[in-house]
Amino acid sequence: MTHIDASRRQWLCRAAALSAHAAAAPLALNLAALGSAAAQSAGDYKALVCLFLFGGNDAYNTVLPTDSASWVNYTAVRSQAPDPIALLAPGTPPNPAAAAGTPARLGGVLPLMPAVALPRPVALHPVLGPLQGLFNTDRRLAVLSNIGPLVMPTTKAQYALASHPKPENLYSHNDQANTWQALAPEGATRGWGGRMGDRLAAMNGMPVFTSVSAAGNAVWLAGDTVNQYQVSSNGAIRLGSDSSGKVYGSSAVAQAMERIVGSARGSHVLEADLSAVAARSMATELALRNALRPAGSAPFGTPPAAGASYSANDDPLLRYPNPLTGSTASSTLAQQLQVVARMIDAGRTTLGARRQVFFVSLGGFDTHDSQNRNQADLLARLAHGMAYFDTVMGGLGLRNQVTLFTASDFGRTFTSNGDGTDHGWGGHHFVMGGAVRGGAVYGALPVLGAKNATNNNFDSSPDQLGNGALLPTTSVDQLGATLGRWFGLSDAELLDLFPNLAHFGTRDLGFI
Amino acid sequence: MTIGTIWRTWRGAPAALAVAALVAGCGGGGVDPAEQADTQPAASVLAAHGVTTEEPVDPSVPSVPVVPGAPGGPKVPPANGGSGVPLSVADAHRFLTQATFGPTAAAISEVQAIGPAAWMERQFSLGSPGAARAYWEAADAAIKAADPTRKAGSGEVYNAFWKLALTAPDQLRMRTAFALSELFVISLDGPPGSDPRAVAAWYDMLAQHAYGNYRDLLQAVSLHPMMGVYLSHLKNQKADPATGRVPDENYAREVMQLFSIGLVQLNADGTLRRDAAGQSIPTYGPADIAGLAKVFTGFSWACPAAPHKNCFLYGSNGDLKDPDRGFKPMVAYPAYHSTEEKRFLGVTIPAQPVADPMGSLTVAMDALFQHPNVGPFVARQLIQRFVTGNPSPAYVAAVARAFDNNGRGVRGDLKAVLRAMLLAQEARYLSPTSARSSLAGKVREPVLRLTALMRAFSYASDSAWYRLGDTSNPGTALAQAPLKSPSVFNFFRPGYVPPGTLAASHDLAVPEMQILHETSAAGYVNYIRNAVGSGVGSYDSTRKRNDMQPDFAAELALAEQPATLVDQVGVKLLGAAPAGALRTEIVNAVSAIAVPTPTTTNADQVAKAKRNRVNAAVFLTAVSPEFQVQK
Repeated sequence: MTHIDASRRQWLCRAAALSAHAAAAPLALNLAALGSAAAQSAGDYKALVCLFLFGGNDAYNTVLPTDSASWVNYTAVRSQAPDPIALLAPGTPPNPAAAAGTPARLGGVLPLMPAVALPRPVALHPVLGPLQGLFNTDRRLAVLSNIGPLVMPTTKAQYALASHPKPENLYSHNDQANTWQALAPEGATRGWGGRMGDRLAAMNGMPVFTSVSAAGNAVWLAGDTVNQYQVSSNGAIRLGSDSSGKVYGSSAVAQAMERIVGSARGSHVLEADLSAVAARSMATELALRNALRPAGSAPFGTPPAAGASYSANDDPLLRYPNPLTGSTASSTLAQQLQVVARMIDAGRTTLGARRQVFFVSLGGFDTHDSQNRNQADLLARLAHGMAYFDTVMGGLGLRNQVTLFTASDFGRTFTSNGDGTDHGWGGHHFVMGGAVRGGAVYGALPVLGAKNATNNNFDSSPDQLGNGALLPTTSVDQLGATLGRWFGLSDAELLDLFPNLAHFGTRDLGFI
Repeated sequence: MTIGTIWRTWRGAPAALAVAALVAGCGGGGVDPAEQADTQPAASVLAAHGVTTEEPVDPSVPSVPVVPGAPGGPKVPPANGGSGVPLSVADAHRFLTQATFGPTAAAISEVQAIGPAAWMERQFSLGSPGAARAYWEAADAAIKAADPTRKAGSGEVYNAFWKLALTAPDQLRMRTAFALSELFVISLDGPPGSDPRAVAAWYDMLAQHAYGNYRDLLQAVSLHPMMGVYLSHLKNQKADPATGRVPDENYAREVMQLFSIGLVQLNADGTLRRDAAGQSIPTYGPADIAGLAKVFTGFSWACPAAPHKNCFLYGSNGDLKDPDRGFKPMVAYPAYHSTEEKRFLGVTIPAQPVADPMGSLTVAMDALFQHPNVGPFVARQLIQRFVTGNPSPAYVAAVARAFDNNGRGVRGDLKAVLRAMLLAQEARYLSPTSARSSLAGKVREPVLRLTALMRAFSYASDSAWYRLGDTSNPGTALAQAPLKSPSVFNFFRPGYVPPGTLAASHDLAVPEMQILHETSAAGYVNYIRNAVGSGVGSYDSTRKRNDMQPDFAAELALAEQPATLVDQVGVKLLGAAPAGALRTEIVNAVSAIAVPTPTTTNADQVAKAKRNRVNAAVFLTAVSPEFQVQK
C-alpha cells in the first residue's frame, strides 16, 4: 500500500542532499542517536514557528517554474481579461507607468539560484526579494514544492476513484486549514504542533509556555495535555487589576475578582472551561510580566526616542514596503513575529524552555478577485516578516535553533476567473532557518500543462486536476515528520503523530 | 388552515385557546399521530406554549397556561399571567436573554404578564427595518455639518448597531438580524468596508427578512452588492472557452457550504447521514460548484445605464451612477451571463438560446431552498446563536420541521422557526436535575454580554449617538465587533470544539470559545471594569466622561446594604440573586470598601465609596463565569 510511482515521486531537486538523507531509509536508522532522550541533553533549545497564510495562497504565482514549456502554458492560462494575473518573465523591468500591483508594474519574477542546479529553473513572485536573498545568498530558505494534505500517495487516476482514500472536505477553507494543522477537518481538537509539545513539555521549566500563539486560537498548537497559550503582540495583558493590584482602588475587589473569574463554583462544564482560561491568563501574565524584554529594544525593535513611548506601528523595523503605494506600512505579521521572538528570548532564558512551538498568521489570501493587488501586498508582508524574523534570530544567535515554515488552507486553481483564482489543493511552501538545508527545492515541481481543448481539465499534466488545482506530491505528514525529527521525536512518536506517514516511503524530506 | 383546539389548564379547568393552534403536518399530507407524539413535532411544542398562529395576536386577549392533556406528556411551563401562574422573574429573564439583547425590568414584566408566546407575537407586529442606514445617514449629515471635510465611516455602522441593540423596541427582530449576520456573513474588515452606508443597509435587509421567508432572504443575500463584493460574484463573467477563463466559484461554493445546505447530507434532526461504510456523504462536489458558478455570472451594480458594459465593470457610465448602488439589488447583465447548460445538485438548467440571468438564479435559489438539508442546517445554527451550542437531535428536528412547514404548508417561514426554537421545551425548561444540565446552554457571545450589561443598567448616551465603536480588539475590548468577522466563516464555527477542555471531553461544540484565549479573557474583564467604572464609548472632553453611562440610582441607594445590593445586581444580570460562594465573594468584596461616616465635608468621598461598592457588585457579577455562560 505504500507503493509509490517512482517516476512521479522521484525527488528531482537537490538529489545529492536527498540521497544522503534518504528518503526511503527507515527512520529508526536516522534517529538511532536522537529521540526524545537525546533531545533532552543539556543546553539545547529549539523552536518551530508555523506561519499560516489564511485563505489559501496562490502558489502558482508564488513559486514559478520558468522553463519554456511551463512558462508558455502558465502565460496562456493566466492571461485572461479583464485583469491578467500572469506574472512576467525573469528580467522584465518594472514599468512605473503601469497600474499598482499589475505584473507590469512589479516587473519580472525573481530567479532562484539553487546550490545544486535544478533540471528546471524556478523563480519567485516579484515582491519576494527578501526571500530570494535568503535562498540564493544566505541559503537559509528552502522551497517545498506541491505539498498538501494526503492520506496516501495519490495519482490522478486514483483521485478519480471514490474508493481511494482522500482528505475529507477538500477545497473547503475551514476544513483544509484544520487538516493542515490537525490532519482532520473542522472539529479536530489536537494538532501536530501541540502533540509534539505533549512529548516535549516536560523539558520546559514552565510547560504552559510550550505552545504559543501570537495569532488567535489555532488547533495546530493543541495537544492532549498541552494547551495553547495566546499572547498578544504587545505581550501579556494583565487581567483586571491595575499596577498596584487593585480594582476600583480596592485590593479586596481585585482578589475577589481573581477567585471569581479564575475558578468555577458550580458543576457547569462551560463555566469550568471559561475559568480555566482566565486562570491561565492571570498565571501566565504574572510569569511574563518581567520576563519579556521590551519590544522597543534590540534586536526586537527600535528603541523609542528619549521620553517617548514605543509604538510597534511606527517602528521602521516592523514596517514593510507596500508595493501598491511605494511607501512603508505597519505589519501585524511582523508584530506577531516580534512577540514570538521576545517569547523565544524569554523562554530560553528566564522561563527555562527547551522546546517551543509558535503560531503566527496572515490572512486575506482568498484571492478570488483583485489577485494582482491583494497577493502582491500580502506576499510583501510575508517576505518582510520572514526576513525581519531571520534578522532578529541572528541577533539572538538562535538561527540554528529556530525553524519557521509556512502553511495555508490550500493552493489555488491554475485557471483564472478574470482577475483571480479559486480554491485548489496542493501548494508551494517555505522553510526558513539556520538548520535548514537552504537554497534548494524539495519535492517534485509540478508539470504545468495546457488545458484541454474542450474543458478546463489538464490531461497534459499528471499533477493538475480540474481547473488546474494541484494534486499534491508531498504530504503534510511528511513535512511534519521531517520537522518533528529535527525537534527530537522518535520514529515511533512520529508514526503516532502522523498516522498517514506509514503510507509514504519518504519519511524525511531532507530539508533540515 | 387553522383549527381551534381545546386544552385543559394545568389546574384542570377547561379553557379554549384564544388563538387557533397550528397543527403538525396539516400542510404536509398526513402525519401519523403516534409519530408526532414520539418525536415531539414542532406544532405540539408550540401549542403547548399557548399560542401558535400566523395572525398577530391581540395582546389584550390573554392566552392561558396549558399542559398537554395526555398523561406522561411533556412538562410545560405555565405560559402567562392570565388565569395561571406567571413566569418567574428568573424564567422571564432567561427567555429574554435568549430572545433579546438583554432583559430589562420592563421586558421582564411584559413577559410575565403575557407569556413568551404572546410576547413573540407582539414583537412580530413591531418593526423598524431601515433604521441602521437611517442612523448612518443622519450621523453622516451631522458629522459633515460640524466639519465638511469629514464623513461617517465604519464606526457609524457599529454605532447604529449598538443603538438598535440597546434601545430598539423590536428586540426580537434586531436580535434575529444579528444572528443572521453571523450566518450570512459580510464584513467591514473586507471590501464592504469601503461602503459603510451600504453595510448599514445590509443589516437593515437582514432585519427586514428576519420575520420573512428564508427563500426571499437567500435571494436578497445573493443579490446584495455587499455580498457581491465580499464573495466576488459581483461582475463575475461567464467562461471564455477559447481562452480557458472560468467563472469565479467563490459564491457558488459558499452559498452552499455556509448559507444553505452545508458540506454533508443531514438527517432531519441535523445528525449526519452516513453511507453503508459509515462515511458522511458530501452534498456537492467540484462539478456542482462549477455548474452553480455559471449561475452567478452576469450580475453587477444597479446602474442607470445598465446593461452597458461600463456599468457592469465599474458601476457607472460617464456621469451616470446610482448613488444607492451599494445596496440596491444587483441587476442582470445578460451579455456576461453564461448560456451554457448548468448542472448542480441534480438540477439541470438547459443551455439558454438567450441569456437569462434571473431565470437561472430562480432555479438555483429554488434548488437550494428545497434541499432537505436547509431545515436542519439552519435550525441547528440558529439554535446555537440563541439557545444552546448543543441542541438535542429532537430539538433540531422540531425546529427543522417548522422550517419545512409552518403548519400551513409554507416552507421557510422564519417566524415559525423562531417560535419553534424559542418556545421549545428544550429552550424553556431543562430540569436542573437532568444529566445534561451541566452541559446545557452556551457561552454568551462577548457582544451580547456587553449589551445585556448595558440594558440591565439602562446605559444612556449623552450624545444620543451611542458612540461605542469597534469592539474587535481582543486585548482591549471584546474580540468581537458586529459586522466585522475576520472572514465569511464568522467569528467562530458551529462545529468548533475547544481543545483541552471539559467541553471537548463531553463532545460539546462551543463556538464562542474559538475567540476566547488568555488575551481576550483579560481584554473582556478589563473592558467591563472600565465600562462599569467609567462608562462606555468615546470620551467627551466637554462632559469629561464617556458617551454612555449607567443608571445606578437604584443600586446606589443600596450601597450601605451590601447583601441586598449584590442580590439586586444578581437579579438584573443573572435573573436571580447569586448563589452560594459567588454571593459570599461579592458581598465580602463590596463590604470591604469602606464608606466613610458622612460629615459636612466628605460628601464626595462618601459618594465615591458608594459608587465603588456598586461598581464592585456589578463588575464582579458581570465577569463571573456564571454570567458569561447562558444556561
